[in-house]
Amino acid sequence: MTEDMNTDAAHSENQAKANGSACLGIMAIVFGIFLAAMHGNEILTHFVYAPDTAAIHDLPVDCDDDELEEEGISLEECNLMGVAVKHVILSSPDWFREFYIGLSVVGVVLAALSICVGILLVDYRRWVVTPAVLTFGSLLLVDLIAFLALINTGPLLRAMYLWDVLLWALIHLSMTAAALVVRQSKYAQSDEPQD
Amino acid sequence: MQRQAYSKTAILTHWLLAVFIFFLFISSWWMLALPLPSEEYRYRELPFQLHKNLGITLVLMLFILLYSRWRHRPAEHTSPAMTLWMRRSAITTRVVLYLTIFACCLSGYLSSAYSGWTTTLWWAVDLPDWAYEDEELNMLFSDIHLWTCWMLLALVAVHISGAIYHAFLQDGLVRRMIRW
Repeated sequence: MTEDMNTDAAHSENQAKANGSACLGIMAIVFGIFLAAMHGNEILTHFVYAPDTAAIHDLPVDCDDDELEEEGISLEECNLMGVAVKHVILSSPDWFREFYIGLSVVGVVLAALSICVGILLVDYRRWVVTPAVLTFGSLLLVDLIAFLALINTGPLLRAMYLWDVLLWALIHLSMTAAALVVRQSKYAQSDEPQD
Repeated sequence: MQRQAYSKTAILTHWLLAVFIFFLFISSWWMLALPLPSEEYRYRELPFQLHKNLGITLVLMLFILLYSRWRHRPAEHTSPAMTLWMRRSAITTRVVLYLTIFACCLSGYLSSAYSGWTTTLWWAVDLPDWAYEDEELNMLFSDIHLWTCWMLLALVAVHISGAIYHAFLQDGLVRRMIRW
């Protein structure tokens, strides 16, 4: 009777661990997809916003009436589109563009890894827990580096990016902590005496 | 015995489609805020070409996914949690989702074709300019593109909600798109 209860308890504990691993896996997949797309867009953005281009020279934007109607925008908005690009270029220090593109490339690779790790976590492959801690930890590190880089840029860029980066950092912090808990429980399980 | 999981090709194309779709949404919101194109302002050139190329590639991947799913059908999933209405709505959502992806990409391509801008496939092959420049048709397909894309976003949200529901339920449904 006691033996049966012990077996049931061990089974429920294993099930709970598998559930925890699966939940973390789902988060890793969903956020990994968003993050890969977001970092991809950052690479494109900073590649396009090259210094010494038209926006920085205050050249007038071509705002034809036909184009305005097609885009569904006002003349003021059309002119501001050039100003928005100028803001980003002006607010970026010389080192920022290449640095942020590089960091976003690392972000895309880690986001792809996060999707793979998430898939394996849902499948509860026990060996993947340590790579998961490393992947989520690295993503957190990328967010922190991005945060530090951004606070050294101009106020316009900080206003645009800081909140997003902070939110991602909190998500990755939670995921790293969760992966550490799954890892700890995995080791506690393997330390248990086997009957 | 019939395989429980989807084929490797189906799994890979499914996840690639997911990343492509979200990238296309995020980048399109950003690129439509770029200055209108002119001799001096050329910020839109690269993002629009990339957008069109990813859209064309997305349709090709969709066909690969559908072909792969047709060739290697996994065993039907049975779960007590899956009621009849859930099964029906899951099938309906999936079919409408595939049709909407196709409609969204096709309308985008047609809008571009009637706009008079050439599409160069991955900066290597110029696609034939079979359409004449027509502002009205460009606007029509542009509107269809806009609304089908909003519909796609809503369907993707429904699809993800269903997947998360089954993942937390641990009824083995989501693992079929995960198990390699």
